Amino acid sequence: MSALKGFGHYVPAGVLTNDALAAEFSVTQEWILSVCGIETRRSVAADETVCDLAERAAVACLQDSGFTPDKLGAIIACTGTPHRQFPGVSAEVQKRLKAGTIPAFDIHLASISGLLGLALAHRMCEQWGPVLVVAAETMTRVMSQGPRVKETAILFGDGAGACVVAPGEGPLAIRDVQVASDATFSEALHLDFGSTLQMDGRTIIMHAVRKLARAAMELLERNNLRVDDVGLFLFHQANLRLLERLMQELKIDRTRCFLNVERYGNTSSASWLIAASEAKAAGLMRPGLKVVVAAFGAGLSWGAALLETTSA
Amino acid sequence: MAVDERVLSALGKVAKAPIPTDRDASLFDTGVLDSFDLVDFVADLEKEFNVKVPDSDLHPSKFESLAKIATYLNTHGAA
Repeated sequence: MSALKGFGHYVPAGVLTNDALAAEFSVTQEWILSVCGIETRRSVAADETVCDLAERAAVACLQDSGFTPDKLGAIIACTGTPHRQFPGVSAEVQKRLKAGTIPAFDIHLASISGLLGLALAHRMCEQWGPVLVVAAETMTRVMSQGPRVKETAILFGDGAGACVVAPGEGPLAIRDVQVASDATFSEALHLDFGSTLQMDGRTIIMHAVRKLARAAMELLERNNLRVDDVGLFLFHQANLRLLERLMQELKIDRTRCFLNVERYGNTSSASWLIAASEAKAAGLMRPGLKVVVAAFGAGLSWGAALLETTSA
Repeated sequence: MAVDERVLSALGKVAKAPIPTDRDASLFDTGVLDSFDLVDFVADLEKEFNVKVPDSDLHPSKFESLAKIATYLNTHGAA
């Protein structure tokens, strides 16, 4: 048994608007909105690194959780946009937090890695003690590592989110987590060294809608729950149009989904953690609430988590 | 009703542009289907033809033209 003790997030100050992107790609703002529903994204400054984002989210998360770095048992950093190959973002976060000699490692799996970090922390915190999971991405920088492509440049933004997973109960118990990978279509979404992101949007959308819906439904079924039992859905904030299609598939409306994709775009691994942090800060995690997290990304990999607010 | 007619009927529900008469023309390049229409269209085909498109077949190339759709359905036990 484990629980989420708190969340934190950080988004950089720079704002990438549809106005700027429309001018860059000679398209209309209406086209951008019709494709992805995103209005703004945050972008890092030239001297800002993915570690800076991770550190800020981690510090905010520790404050929210009531933990000091010396109480942590491990750090898992999740990113598809590390600042170097190794040692990774986790090492830099550990150093900056002065978190002693606890295990610290990265998961390089882009959008799904925040959820995978949660799954690992859920299973390992009994042995390790409280685990800081921090996901951070500098996606806008990746978009400029090669010829910029409008279909991907309009989607992605920068940001970081974090949570602390600790053994025991509440305030947000982790009831179940499942993750899966299938490399059959791994080439549909990849980022090679020194290149920009390559995405076959049609394939990704087909699989994302099906797998996100299935992951959520399978998780609910094996916990003897129905969609109507869930008070809050926190999806990977990939694309508003995709999320609308997913809501249609699950027969849920927007009132039960926390969405920030319009403001931040797709922040990959960080997206559901930023959403969770904002949802908590907005007071949406009322007692007795069942929460479903679902994420999908490169691999292809996908998964879902069932959380429940408690009085603990 | 022949397979082609039933495919055209399902396609008509989601088409964003006139459906090409050329059975080999791309439904994507001609603007008939965008990415999200494709999701709906495949779901409609599954219902209409009582077939289950497995994840391993979930690729746009299999549904890109009327000819490819008919081939897929005919070789996957469409009812």
